[in-house]
Amino acid sequence: MRTQIFRPAVAAIACGAVFVLLPITASAHHGWGGNAREATEMTGTVMEGVSLAGPHATMKLNVNDEAWDITLAPPARTSRAGLQEGIIPVGATVTVNGNRNSDPDRLEMKTFMVKWGDQSFHVYPDR
Amino acid sequence: MWLEGSALGYAMRNSGLWTYGVVNLAHIIGVATLFGSILMLDLKLLGLWRSIPLASLSRPAATLGAAGFILALITGLGLLATQATEYIGNPFFYIKFPAIALGLVNVLLIHRSAAWVAHRARDLSAREERQLAGMGGVSLLCWLTALSTGRMIGYW
Repeated sequence: MRTQIFRPAVAAIACGAVFVLLPITASAHHGWGGNAREATEMTGTVMEGVSLAGPHATMKLNVNDEAWDITLAPPARTSRAGLQEGIIPVGATVTVNGNRNSDPDRLEMKTFMVKWGDQSFHVYPDR
Repeated sequence: MWLEGSALGYAMRNSGLWTYGVVNLAHIIGVATLFGSILMLDLKLLGLWRSIPLASLSRPAATLGAAGFILALITGLGLLATQATEYIGNPFFYIKFPAIALGLVNVLLIHRSAAWVAHRARDLSAREERQLAGMGGVSLLCWLTALSTGRMIGYW
């Protein structure tokens, strides 16, 4: 009796698992779900320099007199991209590319590229 | 905030690229140990596994739970000190700590109850079993809430 319901049940669970695990679209990547679909670019001046502390590296930019939280990659990855603390001084003009927070009231951008002068820091190389 | 500016906060932020990750990992191991052992104990108190005496489970579960809690507490302080001011206004934060406090009060009540004190020496009355079941249910609720809100902090 038990084996008769066992195999179809396993098959059903396996199918369900495959469906759930299939990558749906590129933007369903871990961590990018709460951000806008389209990438945008912003230019501003550094308010707080790059910090490699915490779960994600961060910096703060003044963009048109608004304080923006720039969320970068995890510390090790950000560092590997060459973006160390103290490289970009406070007050420097940088351009960032990323996906802003899908909540319009949150001035936060999940950023994959930071450009300063002729230097580019591609912290999420696949974006 | 003073916690962020403390020596612990400074160490968390400046001792290496992987420090936060490792402390976070240890925190998760502590939480998993705590929750896993308490889950088993609470389910037993709530009536599962009638053939297994409570006395067989209670000491390993309580010991592991305590160890897990202490690890989670110490590492949690480190995580908090890294960027304490970032968490101001995060609602998950404000649910998590009362849940932990309630859980701890409940632990105290369980350990001081006549039923728990006696459970290794004699059989418990139906009333005593119901009392432990109630406290086991509260325990499960508290720690599950603490775990869940703790995880969700990062998604606010």
